[in-house]
Amino acid sequence: MSRFFQAEVTGNILLSQTHNILRITPLKPHPSPSPGQFYLLRVSETMDPLLRRPLSILRWDESSLEFLIRLKGRGTLLLRNMPPGGCIDLLGPLGNGYPSAGDGETPILVAGGVGIASVYPLIGRLGTDSILFYGAASSGDLCLLDDIRAVTSNLYLSTDDGSMGSRGNAVERLAAFLDETSVPKPVVYACGPEGMTSALLRMLRERGIPGYVSLEERMACGVGACLGCVVETSGGYRRVCKEGPVFKARELGF
Amino acid sequence: MNLSVEIGGLRLKNPVLTASGTFGYGEEYAEFVDLSALGAIVTKGLSLTPRKGNPPPRIVETPAGMLNAIGLQNIGVERFIEEKLPFLKQFDVPVIANFFGDSIDEFVGAAERLSRAAGIAGLEMNISCPNKQAGWLVFGTDPRVTFEVVSAVRKVTDLPLIVKLSPNVTDIALMARAAEDAGADAVSLINTVTGMAIDIKTRRPKLANITGGLSGPAIRPIGVRMVWEVFRAVGVPVIGSGGIMNGEDAIEYMLAGASAVAVGTANFVTPTATTDIIAGIRDYMTANGIRDISSIKGGLLWQREDL
Repeated sequence: MSRFFQAEVTGNILLSQTHNILRITPLKPHPSPSPGQFYLLRVSETMDPLLRRPLSILRWDESSLEFLIRLKGRGTLLLRNMPPGGCIDLLGPLGNGYPSAGDGETPILVAGGVGIASVYPLIGRLGTDSILFYGAASSGDLCLLDDIRAVTSNLYLSTDDGSMGSRGNAVERLAAFLDETSVPKPVVYACGPEGMTSALLRMLRERGIPGYVSLEERMACGVGACLGCVVETSGGYRRVCKEGPVFKARELGF
Repeated sequence: MNLSVEIGGLRLKNPVLTASGTFGYGEEYAEFVDLSALGAIVTKGLSLTPRKGNPPPRIVETPAGMLNAIGLQNIGVERFIEEKLPFLKQFDVPVIANFFGDSIDEFVGAAERLSRAAGIAGLEMNISCPNKQAGWLVFGTDPRVTFEVVSAVRKVTDLPLIVKLSPNVTDIALMARAAEDAGADAVSLINTVTGMAIDIKTRRPKLANITGGLSGPAIRPIGVRMVWEVFRAVGVPVIGSGGIMNGEDAIEYMLAGASAVAVGTANFVTPTATTDIIAGIRDYMTANGIRDISSIKGGLLWQREDL
C-alpha cells in the first residue's frame, strides 16, 4: 500500500460561501490515517499552482477520505470547485497525529476556525466523553455542528462577533470553564490559527496544564526532505510534516 | 537502449540525478522510489559542522515555482557518514555528497572528511547557495575566488569533483571555465535564482530571510540557456538542472548540452518524479529511434546565422 495514490472525487459538499467538504475514493487500497494526520493534495494537473496543499483528515472509512476546506487562496478555490468524477492524487497519511490521553486524564479539545478539521476525528475517538471548545470569527464559520452534537453534548461555542455561542475566543471560554469546573487531570488537544495557538500555549503554561497542539506551516515535500516547514521548538527546529504537525505544548514557546 | 552516461569518471546507469536539498539524505523518498533505479543520489548540502538553518517561514509558492531560504540546515559530515550513509550503501546507486563551507579551509575540511568515507562515489561542491551572506557569495560569483576554492578542494580529493554553479552572475560560462581550470571533473547548473516576494497586506517579506532561491518550472528557460552557454565554453560534462518536471524537460536540457540532469523541485510535487522522468526519457528515445542517450547531448540544431 503506497502513501502516494490516485483517487476519484466522489463528493464535494458546499457548506457555506467559505467552506466545503471534499470526499475522495482511493482507486487502490491505501493506508488508514489516525486523528491529527494530514494529506498533501495536488490541486491542479498544471504547473501553476505548483505545490500540493496540506489538509487535515476530517473523516474516513474503508473506501473514502473527507477533507474540510476553507477558501483562502487559489489552491483552496480549485479544491472547492473540483467536480465529482474527477481524478486527484494524494500523498498521505503524513505526520504524527494526536497521541491518546493517559489513564485518569480528561482530554479537552480546542478548535479555532478550520482547525476543527484536525480535532474532529478525536470526537470519534472519545465519543460521548468529548469536551470541545470551538471558536470562529462568526456563526457562518462554525462547521459540522449537527455532526458534533450527535456525538457529544459537551460543546462550548464562541464567536468573535458574538453571533453564536459566547462572544470571544475558544481559549477565553476554556479558561472560564476551568475556573468554574473541577476537571481531573485535564490534557488539551488543539488546532487553530496562530493567534489562538499562542494564547492557548500561554494559558496552559500559566495553569500548568499539559497539551498537544497541531501546527501549520508552509510546506513543500511533506516527507521531511525539503526542511521548508520547520518550527522553533525547545529542541531546535522541527519539521511540521515529520516530527509534527502535533507537538507537545511545553515544547513550543511562542 | 543505452541510458548510461559518464560524468567525470563516474559511470551512471542513467542520466537522472537528484538535485541537492530536494531529496533529503535519500531515505525520505525510499518508500516511493527504488533508489537503485536512479543515476545517482546527490545528498542534502553538508558542512564540516551541523547547521541550524534559517528561521521560518522558509518557503513560499510563486507562479509555477517556489522560493526557498532553508539556509543549508544539515547534520554535518560526521553524522551523515555515521547515520545516513550506511542506509544509502544498501542500494546499487552512486552517492554524490554535496558539501559547502564558510571558508576555503572549511570547504577543504569537508571534502577531506567525505573523501575518507567508504561509499561516496563523488563530490559536488556548492559554491552557489543564494541564501548566504554577501561575503560568501564570492565563491560562486568571482571567478578568481571560484578558481581558488576549487583548486584547494581538488588538491585533497581524488573523487570525481562536480562544481555547482550559480545563475546569479553576468557570465556563467566564465564561472564554468574557472571551475574547469581549477580541476573540476564536471559542472552542474543551475542552482536557484535569487528572488523575493512581499505580502502587500502586511508589507512584510514572505520569507524570514527576505530573499530566497527561485526554483521550479518558472526558471527552466534560464537553466536551458545557461547550460547551452556553458556546454560551448567547457570540455567537462555539464549536469543540467532547473525546473525539470518530466522526461521532455530532461531531453530539452540534454539537447542544450547536458550530459545528465538533476531533478529538484519536481520531487516535492510528485514523489516519484525521478523514476517518472527516467521512464519519460525512455519513451522519447523509443519514439525517436535513439539508441544511446549520449547521442543527443548538445544536439540542438542551429546555424551560425541564427546568432
